[in-house]
Amino acid sequence: MSKQRNQTSVTNKMKLRAIFLCFCVAVCFFIVRANMFRIQILNYEENKAEATAIQLREMELSPNRGTIYDANGKILAQSATVWTISVSPKESKEEQHQLIASGLSEILEVDYSSIIEKLGKNNYYQLIKQKVDKPVADKVQQFCSENNIGGVNIAADYKRYYPYGEFASTILGFCGSDNQGLAGLESYYNEELTGEKGRIIAAKNGWGLDMGTDYEIMNEAHDGYSLKLTIDETIQHYLEKHLALNAEKHQATEGAAGIIMNVKTGAILAMANYPAYNPNDPYALTNESLAAQIAAMADEEQRVQAMSEARQKQWRNKAVNDLYEPGSVFKIITAASALDSGKASLASGYYCRGFKEVEERIMKCSQTGGHGAESFSQALINSCNPAFIEIGAAMGKDLFYDYFYSFGLAEKTGIDLPGEQKSIYYTDETHTNVTLASCSFGQSNKLTPIQMITAVATAVNGGNLVTPHLVSQMLDSDGNVVKDMTPEIRRQVISEDTSRTIRRILQENVTSGNGGHAYIAGYRVGGKSGTSQKLDTPQDNDYIASFVGVAPCDDPEIAILILFDNPTGPDGYYGGPLAGPVVGSLMGEVLPYLGVEPVYSGSEQSKKNVTVSSITGYDITEAAVKLQRAGLKIKTVGTGKKVVSQFPAYGQKVTVGSIVVAYTEQGESTMVTVPNLLNKSPTAVETTLISRGLNIKEEGAYSGNKNVRVYKQSPNAGDKVPMGTVITVTYQDPTYAE
Amino acid sequence: MADKAKEKSKFDIKKWFRFTDKGAKLDTPMLLITFVLLGFGLVMLYSASYVYGIYRFKGDSLHYIRDQALFAVIGVVAMLIASKVDYHIYRRYCVMLMGVVYILLVIVLFMPEYNGCHRWIYIKNVGTFQPSEIAKFAVILLFANMIEKNYDKMKTFEYGIVPFGIVLASIVVLMFFQPHLSGMIIICMVGAIMMFIGGTDIKWFFLAFGALVVGIVAVLIIWPDTIHYASSRIETWLHPENDLSSAGYQSYMGRLAIGSGGLFGLGLGNSRQKHLHLPEGQNDFIFAIICEELGFVGGMFVIVLFLALFARGIYIATRAKDKFGAMLVIGIIVQITLQAFLNIAVATGTIPNTGISLPFFSEGGTALMMILGEMGIVLSVSRYANIDRG
Repeated sequence: MSKQRNQTSVTNKMKLRAIFLCFCVAVCFFIVRANMFRIQILNYEENKAEATAIQLREMELSPNRGTIYDANGKILAQSATVWTISVSPKESKEEQHQLIASGLSEILEVDYSSIIEKLGKNNYYQLIKQKVDKPVADKVQQFCSENNIGGVNIAADYKRYYPYGEFASTILGFCGSDNQGLAGLESYYNEELTGEKGRIIAAKNGWGLDMGTDYEIMNEAHDGYSLKLTIDETIQHYLEKHLALNAEKHQATEGAAGIIMNVKTGAILAMANYPAYNPNDPYALTNESLAAQIAAMADEEQRVQAMSEARQKQWRNKAVNDLYEPGSVFKIITAASALDSGKASLASGYYCRGFKEVEERIMKCSQTGGHGAESFSQALINSCNPAFIEIGAAMGKDLFYDYFYSFGLAEKTGIDLPGEQKSIYYTDETHTNVTLASCSFGQSNKLTPIQMITAVATAVNGGNLVTPHLVSQMLDSDGNVVKDMTPEIRRQVISEDTSRTIRRILQENVTSGNGGHAYIAGYRVGGKSGTSQKLDTPQDNDYIASFVGVAPCDDPEIAILILFDNPTGPDGYYGGPLAGPVVGSLMGEVLPYLGVEPVYSGSEQSKKNVTVSSITGYDITEAAVKLQRAGLKIKTVGTGKKVVSQFPAYGQKVTVGSIVVAYTEQGESTMVTVPNLLNKSPTAVETTLISRGLNIKEEGAYSGNKNVRVYKQSPNAGDKVPMGTVITVTYQDPTYAE
Repeated sequence: MADKAKEKSKFDIKKWFRFTDKGAKLDTPMLLITFVLLGFGLVMLYSASYVYGIYRFKGDSLHYIRDQALFAVIGVVAMLIASKVDYHIYRRYCVMLMGVVYILLVIVLFMPEYNGCHRWIYIKNVGTFQPSEIAKFAVILLFANMIEKNYDKMKTFEYGIVPFGIVLASIVVLMFFQPHLSGMIIICMVGAIMMFIGGTDIKWFFLAFGALVVGIVAVLIIWPDTIHYASSRIETWLHPENDLSSAGYQSYMGRLAIGSGGLFGLGLGNSRQKHLHLPEGQNDFIFAIICEELGFVGGMFVIVLFLALFARGIYIATRAKDKFGAMLVIGIIVQITLQAFLNIAVATGTIPNTGISLPFFSEGGTALMMILGEMGIVLSVSRYANIDRG
């Protein structure tokens, strides 16, 4: 029994071998455990990061870019929703790839093979087309649902849209493909307009599908702020219209710029460049002949280079990005500085021989025969260089530079536009007598147009240096004001007294000096023209013609600067005749729009406009009384008792004292021949026209100035016109050459 | 003789099942370990499988755990019954069982293909099972019986090698046609370890090892293309992230699951990889999900449980009443531990992907039931063993 037990029982050898087995198992599991330790503890961070990348999907939520409004709330730039079409190759079925590619390529006009290639990728996102409009996106949606297609994604995005096209383009700028501002206000206020991106971090499962909102972390997007501009759409339109018209007329090959500013606050009411571009399509060249010229270039590299330069040029805002020599306009600053510092007074007298010698260098006056003896006011009205050399010398380098600096001309104005150019100037230390002399009358120092108009605004607004600005308020997406952006007055540069004197002289310059081109009856316009030779171009005879006007001079509201770069038209290159009338026309439109009441001086009373009343159907006597009450005269044609028709028609604006022709019988209008009025004086014009039953509209220089003569008329001499027609005459003072 | 004839003439339950003495107690630590493994396994299976259930079975998060729990209950009953049955009676049926296994292994080859293999036998309205699971147990039973019978001659070639070799070779050949590589590996290794413990001369193991090396070298020389194939498989094993299209994907996802668990894991139920990133997270790669949710600590706990099972099994075996019981326990314990090791080794990237499930944890009701039944046999052996039961 015991033997048998021995036979069947477990032997020591078996036990030994079992222990050996235990050892082997322990070793095996130790290796496995070591591997676990390596993966979980040593390489934890690395593996976790890789796992996270697979398990989570991060999506960005685009904030809505802020809107840009004009001063009256009109929308100038807006973001519209567009759609981005993408595919998720891993979530699409392979057998549907050809169907997807053919469908999408047809709807989106994208290359078929490129879609096939993208679908072949081993990931979750391949972009097919961006900025697709809603109808197209709807078609894609419909295509996918009809064919039961998965893996095609349609996501909302935003596209920048400028409803007025080319309007205010150099101010507004434009946006790139990622909605980032690339120029103008879009660039300067990019951060504020953009807002904050939101994020969704969603857990996704192995099929790439989101696991529901329970697994989501969402940071909402914050929409960008909207901007309310100081720009007034109406005024901007006036400026752009006149600038484009005249830049073409005067053939300003290097373009033109214009600024209209509120002199009291520095608010920019309008700012324009010619040529402009369309911010909806900023890469297209506005200049079609240049575009054709570049497209015809044979050399690829040259073409690309030329295209890039042309684009950069059309995006430039001359008013802020470019320097120029302000020329005689700068005399306003020299005059204001000299008066304010007491180095000159209205009683000062100067003598001009037509030139002045400074350290053996001859500096000429525009009037080569010389102005002779002149007062301080006359020196400015005459734009006399020798007189201003004396004025500058009287101040000396230190004082001249002090005022130059105080007027903000040695620093940027701080306007809220990108790329404001810094001026180039002589300081009190670098000035020589020669440079001081030339700077006194506006040469040698180089400024930006925005600096110049800001300095002029300071000179006329009572002496306060303002900060030019385009944005008045920042609004949130609900339209609440987040921040008032109006900057404060920087400093008082000259006294109110000096400022008043400068205003008076500037108004005088327009009423009876060579600023007459800017004259508009009733609006007390003051101004100064400038013509400067461009010293940095290879040609000797490149000029910049400019004019700065302010109005109304008793209490200035606005300043306008108009600048033509290299005018090559038939009217020459002088600032007065080229830029002056533009300023005048703009004053005539902008000031009534702003609600500035016209105030007519005694002699201006006769130039007042009245509205033609309706006399048709009235008895002749009644009609005469009615017209008389409106300050108009009647001229009857025919033998009837009642007026059957009239000319000019009811509602027309005509000058006080104009004739209204009353026809008492049916029939043809009486025609008269337009006489030749060129070079006639205002009195001669009046008598000639009245005798023929024609009416007058006066433009250009102030007709109260005895020296003015007609240099343009419309309609032309010899034309047949109905009796009562208004003949427009433009006056110019031939005694003031620039 | 007359008694025997009499016994044959009438049905006697005692002839089929001989229950153990009432007094003999089973090994409580082993029972405890089994229950902990089972309970832990069910919890982890539910956590790992509900996402797959939701996605694959129309939102039925209980799809996998329902079957598993049912089989677990049946398995526990089977285990408790088996622990009461005198294990010596199995000696009678071991040859017969082996015969059944051969028949099943032939039948299975004519079953419909699944994933390119013929591993499952389908019985209408009952379900499916793998004959190789039964084959494992049949081999263990047969080998234990053979070792008990011929222990003294185990050193000889004709007793220590030939019969074992014939059984293993014939099963390998049949399974080769399924094909079922992991099953072959487990049966051969369990068989070899039983032979080793059972007294087969060590030199044969060295010889076998030598033959294996020579064989591999011969294959590589005869078919040089296999070098390329093997090296690409090894490359995939070492750097699964470079071959995400097929084989490497599962290993890579498993590694990320384990790796993102860290020391303490993401918390029970919080696995992210189970959200369809990790294929078979409820089955072959459940260990990766455990490591992701419970961290290094949780993974170590699983390993410790299996080591405890193994150690207690060896303890029972070495104190068993007879060699048959000892070998039976060793076979069963080695089979479970070996599967656990291979599974964990695959999940951790220690060895190439072979497709072996984790006992007690992986989805698979019949397998769980089998394991519990086998544990019942181990417990039955423990009743007779000379164990200090404290």
